[in-house]
Amino acid sequence: MSDHDTLLAARTAALRESGWGEGFRFVQPRNLAFWVYLLLVGAGAVIWLRYASTEAAAYGEVLIVATVLFGLYGALFWWFTQRIDRYAHQSRKLIAIAFLWGAFAASWAMAANANSPILSLWGKAFGQAWSIDWGAGLTAPFTEELAKGFGVLLLIALAPRLVATAFDGFVLGAFIGLGFQILEDIQYALGSAGEQFGANAVDNAMSTILMRMALGVAAHILYSAVFCTGLVYFLGRPAEPRRRGRGLLLMGTAMLLHGLWDNIGGIAGSTGYLIPLLWVVVIGLAFFTVTRAFNLSVPRERSYMRAVMAPEEAAGTVTAEELDTLAGDRSVRKAYRKAARGHADRRRRDHLLEAAHDLADELARSGGRDDQRVRFARAELARLRAGAPR
Amino acid sequence: MANADAARPRDWVPVERRWLGLDRATIPPALVVLALAILMAVVVPAVDHAVPGGTRVRAGDEVALRGGISFVPATGWILTDGVLRGREPRAGAGSTATVTDGPVALTVRTAPFTGTPTALLEQIKDTTDALNGSHGLHITGDVQAVQTAGGQRGVIARYRGTSSDGAIAAFVVDGTGVEVVVTGPPDVPGDPSAAIAGMIASIAPEGGAG
Repeated sequence: MSDHDTLLAARTAALRESGWGEGFRFVQPRNLAFWVYLLLVGAGAVIWLRYASTEAAAYGEVLIVATVLFGLYGALFWWFTQRIDRYAHQSRKLIAIAFLWGAFAASWAMAANANSPILSLWGKAFGQAWSIDWGAGLTAPFTEELAKGFGVLLLIALAPRLVATAFDGFVLGAFIGLGFQILEDIQYALGSAGEQFGANAVDNAMSTILMRMALGVAAHILYSAVFCTGLVYFLGRPAEPRRRGRGLLLMGTAMLLHGLWDNIGGIAGSTGYLIPLLWVVVIGLAFFTVTRAFNLSVPRERSYMRAVMAPEEAAGTVTAEELDTLAGDRSVRKAYRKAARGHADRRRRDHLLEAAHDLADELARSGGRDDQRVRFARAELARLRAGAPR
Repeated sequence: MANADAARPRDWVPVERRWLGLDRATIPPALVVLALAILMAVVVPAVDHAVPGGTRVRAGDEVALRGGISFVPATGWILTDGVLRGREPRAGAGSTATVTDGPVALTVRTAPFTGTPTALLEQIKDTTDALNGSHGLHITGDVQAVQTAGGQRGVIARYRGTSSDGAIAAFVVDGTGVEVVVTGPPDVPGDPSAAIAGMIASIAPEGGAG
């Protein structure tokens, strides 16, 4: 077998293992996970619509403002999360399915039903004061992280080849968390609209909206990304060896962070200045943890990118520097940009890199075969390299 | 065999892998998720419902609320929401408290409010009407003045709902609005009105209840 054949075989193996470029069909009547997904997302959506329509009668303006602002906020996070999924891209359809799970099923059909009764049980067992201080932090991390995380079990059953690595768990978990966060934020905004018996509804809601926007960066999106990375490690996938200890550690850390966040009021007590300090500490811990989870899980994705594009480097379609950058981390990308000579050259190099990404995606879609779109993607790279106009 | 596998469409489930037409491999994860949903939506609320709760009020107890408001609950009633003075959480008292006596419940809620008691009652009425529509509570009687033992002036009105009758009282104490909602079935055994009147009369700024 020649070197070229070896590279092509490695590309085929990487594509098969990662599921990169695989299509996803949502409607699967023979799949019980499909029916359970429909049932729970449908039930959650109906419950939320009934809630929102009731609230709209009293706080219609707040509902509109909160939906628009959190919609824009969510769009920003959507863009960012898609941006960090830069190697073996996840299916957009599956990402949308994950988002809807977090928005409707995990929150309204599952966790919301259990949170109040569990808080009430804490109160019955240890007293109301104890429940107010510590109940939320000992309830939501279990109900909400499990409800969100179990969505990944359904996604694995719906698309086993597309949820192949711990990084897939990271990306899908982040989108489940995003869906959960947006609808929870809207609910908090509506809740605060009634704080002064319904007077000054928009003003009250705006302070909650701004607070949730500022502090929400380290909330459900991060917890779920970490939890779901851990869940995939715990379960193991064909492309991701089972690592139960690592999986439990990540899931436990996500729950611990969630619990700390919810118990900040109880920890700080009447020492008001402690609250912002604790916010900073917990947000810092959350960012540290999510960065660790990302760095642990992303190398496998990078190796897939390298395997898919290595035959192109051997054939001279991309340079060794471009291949290293495609499959590299942030520092490599930074070095690639810094190596440019002037603005025009930097722009040209950025275009080359984006075109190389296009070629990788086309190769993944075609299963590594040279079809018309793959050949066109290669021709685009050649055109950009030659500096020819469109 | 390998050729047959290669030719099989992705969504094709071989007959020997089916159970009631479903892909057997998808059943365990789907049932695990469904079981968690049932646990959360059915089992946990049922357990909470089955476990008795609340604190029986003893003579001398005082309920603390956010905004430095307190009231003296009637002895023998059950405190189902809220905290007693001296047992406040580290994060401070909450904004609601409920005491019950059988089917009768008295709920007190506090929040910042700068208008008059009449304006507060009007605000409560508007919000309740908007949220509940025809299913909500409808004020039926005249609005009457009421005064607490400590001299706080407020207003009170009777209301009628689809399944309960009661009264709503409103006070404004040092920038804190106080809403009192009494609910109960139309025919209540015994007469709780003296106990209710006593609790409303006991509403006071911190330390002044009673």
